[in-house]
Amino acid sequence: MTGNKELSNQFHQIIEQHKGILFKVARAYCPNKDDRQDLLQEMMIQVWKSLHRYNDNFAISTWLYRISLNVAISFFRKTAKRQTVSLPMIYEDKVMEDDSDFERQEQLRLLEKFISELNKLDKALVLLYLDDKSHAEISEILGLSVSNVGTKMGRIKERLRNKFSKINS
Amino acid sequence: MIENDFKLLWHAANQKLEASLLVNKQNSEDITKIKVQNFVSSMKPIKIFTLLVGIVWVSVVGLLLIQLYVNAYDKVNLFFLYSAGLQVVLTAVAVAVYMYQLDLIYKIDFGEPVIEIQEKLVKLEVSTLNVTRLLFLQLPLWTTFYWNETMFTNGNYLLWAFQVVVTVSFCYLAIWLFFNISIENRDKRWFQLIFKGREWQPILQSMELLNQLDAE
Repeated sequence: MTGNKELSNQFHQIIEQHKGILFKVARAYCPNKDDRQDLLQEMMIQVWKSLHRYNDNFAISTWLYRISLNVAISFFRKTAKRQTVSLPMIYEDKVMEDDSDFERQEQLRLLEKFISELNKLDKALVLLYLDDKSHAEISEILGLSVSNVGTKMGRIKERLRNKFSKINS
Repeated sequence: MIENDFKLLWHAANQKLEASLLVNKQNSEDITKIKVQNFVSSMKPIKIFTLLVGIVWVSVVGLLLIQLYVNAYDKVNLFFLYSAGLQVVLTAVAVAVYMYQLDLIYKIDFGEPVIEIQEKLVKLEVSTLNVTRLLFLQLPLWTTFYWNETMFTNGNYLLWAFQVVVTVSFCYLAIWLFFNISIENRDKRWFQLIFKGREWQPILQSMELLNQLDAE
């Protein structure tokens, strides 16, 4: 049986290597920065609690996406008062410098706005799609069929294209 | 803007972001001190207490009623015997379902696919609703267990009227709650009063997600 120390080391290693996954999901599902730290804490607690059940037939990133999305979708209350986190869990070391390319910045802002307007399921689909996950991987993470993922992604991309073309025209 | 542009844009922004992310070592260390729970330690004290009270109630009252039924059926007040008997049966069902639910809660693995977990959460909470509906059916029994023959032979109109009003009201309330406790009424104030608590939020959000799945 894996010892607690070993499990603890594994946990720190996973969090360090994949903090971006947790942070991206938290940012997409929780626009408020303070509340986001609560969500990140809850995600990390669930990662720790589920670590002994991790099945290495799946990539660690698949497993982490499942946990972070499950927590973001069901176990987080926007209205919850922050009680447990006094210091941030995962944070940006410095505020990102503004990109000199104004147009790219604007497009990024629009893309993030579009994602924030999606329902919870579509939001998960887009996040995974943008992170280069294949339809098969998205299907593994969300538990939808591959064809269902394809259909839904097709609709979302169509909406996204329409939105951008309306703005650009 | 074409598909690949979205991805390029996203990657460029996220590479910068990921490079600047830091994990708070102290908080992360604190999390590893949380005990990985077993079934019993995963339950909150109030749940353990409720479960124990339920088990003790069903065992003690149930055994007493069986004794009365077997050894003193002719002497015992039948209103009491049947009212209490039904109450114990309903409580026993609720205790069994409650234990089953707690076991399921403990077994839920957040590393499973999102839709599967959300469906499990919804099923769990729907069964919570059903047990609550069942428990409310006990209400009228608390107004009948003390009835006896003397009430009918020596009682007066005032006593009867009072008793009828109380029992009919409890029957009405029990039946009304039985039919109206459903997820569709989750926004009603009375529903929130009955089911107030942190554990309801996940279910409502899970239902929202499953509705989104069905909507298309």
